[in-house]
Amino acid sequence: MIFRALRSVDWILLASVASLITVGLITLYAAIHQGDALLWKKQLIFLSVGFSVFLLLCFIPLRFLGLASWPFYIVALILLALVPLVGDVQMGARRWLDLGVINLQPSELMKWALMFVLAHWFASREADSMANLAIALMLAVAPAALIVIQPDLGTTLVLLFAASAMLIASGLPWRWFGIAVVLALASLPVLWNFIMHDYQKRRVLTLLDPQSDPLGAGYHVIQSTIAIGSGGLFGKGYMQGTQASLHFLPEQHTDFIFAVLAEEGGFVAATILLVLYTILITRILMISYRAHSRFGSLVCIGVASVFLLYISVNIGMVSGLLPVVGLPLPFISYGGSALVTMLAALGLVMRVAIESKDRIPWQRPGSPLL
Amino acid sequence: MRKNQLESRQRFDLRMLFFYAVTPLLLGGLLLNLLQLQWSQHEKLALQADENRLNIIPVLPVRGEIVDANGNGLAVNKIAYRVLLIPERVANLDETLVQLSEALAWSPAKQVHIRKRIASARPDRPVLLDDKLQWQQVSPIASRLHRLSGVDVEAGSYRHYPYSELTAHLIGYLSLARQSDLDEGFLPTEFIGRTGAEKSFESLLHGTPGSQQEEVDALGRRIAVIKRTPSIMGKQLKLALDIDVQRAASEALGDRTGAVIVLDVESGAVISMLSQPGYDTNRFITGLESEQWQQWLNNPDKPLLNRATQAAYPPASTFKVVTGLAGLAEKASLARGDAFCPGYLELADRNLRCWKREGHGNVNMHSSLVHSCDVYFYKLADQIGMAAISDSAQQWGLGEKTGIDLSPESRGIIPAHRPNMMAEMTSQSNRRKRWFRGETMITAIGQGQLTTTPLQIARLAAAIANGGKILKPQLLADQEAELLHQAEVDPKHLEQVRKAMRDVVASPGGTAYWPLRSTPWPVAGKTGTAQVVKMAQDDEKSGKLSKQEILKRHRDHAWFMGYAPYDKPKVAFAVFVEHGGHGGSDAAPVADAIIRVLAAKEEARDEGQQL
Repeated sequence: MIFRALRSVDWILLASVASLITVGLITLYAAIHQGDALLWKKQLIFLSVGFSVFLLLCFIPLRFLGLASWPFYIVALILLALVPLVGDVQMGARRWLDLGVINLQPSELMKWALMFVLAHWFASREADSMANLAIALMLAVAPAALIVIQPDLGTTLVLLFAASAMLIASGLPWRWFGIAVVLALASLPVLWNFIMHDYQKRRVLTLLDPQSDPLGAGYHVIQSTIAIGSGGLFGKGYMQGTQASLHFLPEQHTDFIFAVLAEEGGFVAATILLVLYTILITRILMISYRAHSRFGSLVCIGVASVFLLYISVNIGMVSGLLPVVGLPLPFISYGGSALVTMLAALGLVMRVAIESKDRIPWQRPGSPLL
Repeated sequence: MRKNQLESRQRFDLRMLFFYAVTPLLLGGLLLNLLQLQWSQHEKLALQADENRLNIIPVLPVRGEIVDANGNGLAVNKIAYRVLLIPERVANLDETLVQLSEALAWSPAKQVHIRKRIASARPDRPVLLDDKLQWQQVSPIASRLHRLSGVDVEAGSYRHYPYSELTAHLIGYLSLARQSDLDEGFLPTEFIGRTGAEKSFESLLHGTPGSQQEEVDALGRRIAVIKRTPSIMGKQLKLALDIDVQRAASEALGDRTGAVIVLDVESGAVISMLSQPGYDTNRFITGLESEQWQQWLNNPDKPLLNRATQAAYPPASTFKVVTGLAGLAEKASLARGDAFCPGYLELADRNLRCWKREGHGNVNMHSSLVHSCDVYFYKLADQIGMAAISDSAQQWGLGEKTGIDLSPESRGIIPAHRPNMMAEMTSQSNRRKRWFRGETMITAIGQGQLTTTPLQIARLAAAIANGGKILKPQLLADQEAELLHQAEVDPKHLEQVRKAMRDVVASPGGTAYWPLRSTPWPVAGKTGTAQVVKMAQDDEKSGKLSKQEILKRHRDHAWFMGYAPYDKPKVAFAVFVEHGGHGGSDAAPVADAIIRVLAAKEEARDEGQQL
């Protein structure tokens, strides 16, 4: 079985992930080289944990995942509902549940739970009937509402983005999608006036004019654009970034790590990174296209869209295009939970790839959907 | 169902194309934005990155010192040490403070104060613990610095004036740069000369600041020094001043108000320039309390005024030398003839008195100078007229700035001098439109509207000694003489005046015979006693002064000018004692003290050469 799995491993996916992890480790080393050697070791430990999870998921049949998706979703929803009641406040937001062993962030679980449940829901349905759609929308909007009040704008975005991607893949008519977008834009004033917190508004305003608050909300963006821009085309050289090594960059090993890469490696390094990401996402989409089950295919779409959103939002934020939303850069930013969940997601993708190899593709007439 | 499936598959395939397209589009958009940052805005942002990390710290230059002719420091830089501490780098704060307080002998109150200061300071910035320490105090700390983490001993310098009051007006003082200085490019931490030589020679003394480019991190901590441009120390100035002469003058003057100037006859070098009362110039360096400043400003004795150059007084009988020379130059009959002095001169509207009520009897030019007879000079002035007198005054450098490197400088007033006549005539105190005979006479004996600075009188004495050379008084040592102009004078006339000036001192009837009878060098001079009653009456009316002050202020100003040695003049001097009383008895002894010191020094030098 192992050999069979090995034979059907998607090497391109593996190689692109390995390259990204390598780039990530190199960049992270530069970002913390003057600080904490401990962080570096911890990241290596997270990596090995993540890789184990990745391997494990390569061997779990997708069927089980499909079966588990509803219970998983319900548990996640319950935990999410508990957060406002008994959650821990960290950094001004109530996002955490203290389970004694670990601090759990239910919103993180929900991301994947929603993905599976939607994939399962649309595995045997099309998104072109009102009834099907209504259920799916409820499935998505309930957790989104719970998360946005925490407040956690980043995760809410991820949730809605992944859900939209899966709906589109499931055949949502474009007209309806257009209407939804118009409605979303129309609801922005409501969001602004009643839902968003002051600090979130400030972030948006700061985006429009970072210099309005150069030492407060604008500081991060000003310093990161200085770092990126001063890197130029070829960068200042590895570990030669003054913005990074002199601590002008905030969060330089987590959310703002891209600025370190762009400062020291310049436009060239940034291009290499984005090309690697493009290869990775395209490969996931190809796996989705070839998947033998619609469930697997939709899970891949979800994973790809999550990656795409993470990358775009993170780099957009660091280079001053988007407001500051705390999303990590996949495989580059320091951080255990993000690394492990992303590798886990890739494990799922890999499983889809393995199951679809040498199998009759699911578009064949009469082939089972699950 | 199958058809449905096929349809749905086809639709899914189409939708996949959309996804395939979206990814590169999104990421390509990000890349375009990056290109904009890293290519189009690269230069601007690279500059900002440099500005972020580079701190340019000025390195202040060491100010040049000022020494006197014998190398005694007049304005020196004193090294002082300060102890600083960066809280976040201290391993054990309590222990460190215990060690420091033992070494620096801090009182318990001071320790509490220092702890408070540390507690309220930013942990990454140095906190000043103690300042203005001498090496003996900090050396135990300095030797243990490697064990006292976070503690630093810094050396700096501050300006010190060892002879503060004695040289206050000549040397002046510094203060921190003001807005006007900042506009000229000085740094806010720099000290700038405000008065005296410190001001005049600012550009020489100041030096050139250097700079240190430092790389700093986001907390402002210094990471490395990238480039260092050392500062250039200001030049040391050696003055012609001899502090021993200055001290002798001050001691002879005692607590009286006045000015003493000693000039080198040939070079114009200022050997001594004293103005009393002085003030403590060291008070300015540590930051002057405004009360003290107000007190100096409002003190009726005007300690801030340099009486040698900024104040003009009636020169009194010292001016008779100028009148006499004018008479000789005009070939007035009286200049070669005799006159009779009954003690007064009758004029149409009033009597002009001689200072000697009983009169001098028969007098001529020589005896009138020796005994300072007023009546003779009234008559002489009447003969030659005002224009001749003011021309002569101008010849001898009165009524103009001497050009000494001290500002501001007063010009004094020559009344009715032609170019300025109308201006002077319409001036505040002179509303009369015509010049009276009597005024010419009063001017001739150095009273009335005529005023001169003590420095002008000293230069006049030097010019008489050196043959009419009007020199620029030189503050710096070893300067070439700077001849401003040459008085047009017949050497024979000059010799006549010199002889008379010698007899003022040498002949038993001379006005300065008694105080200078045993002076080591033969002195030639002229006394003066300026009447101030009129001024005192003004003061009385204004009610500003106490009775006792008024009594003091009724006293006349005393003058004595001259040069020595008579046969081979080396130095010329002017002594002015405000409300001093009488030129002969009150001002001349100061000259005696000065010449004693100069003669003793010369003798010591000669002996040294013989050895």
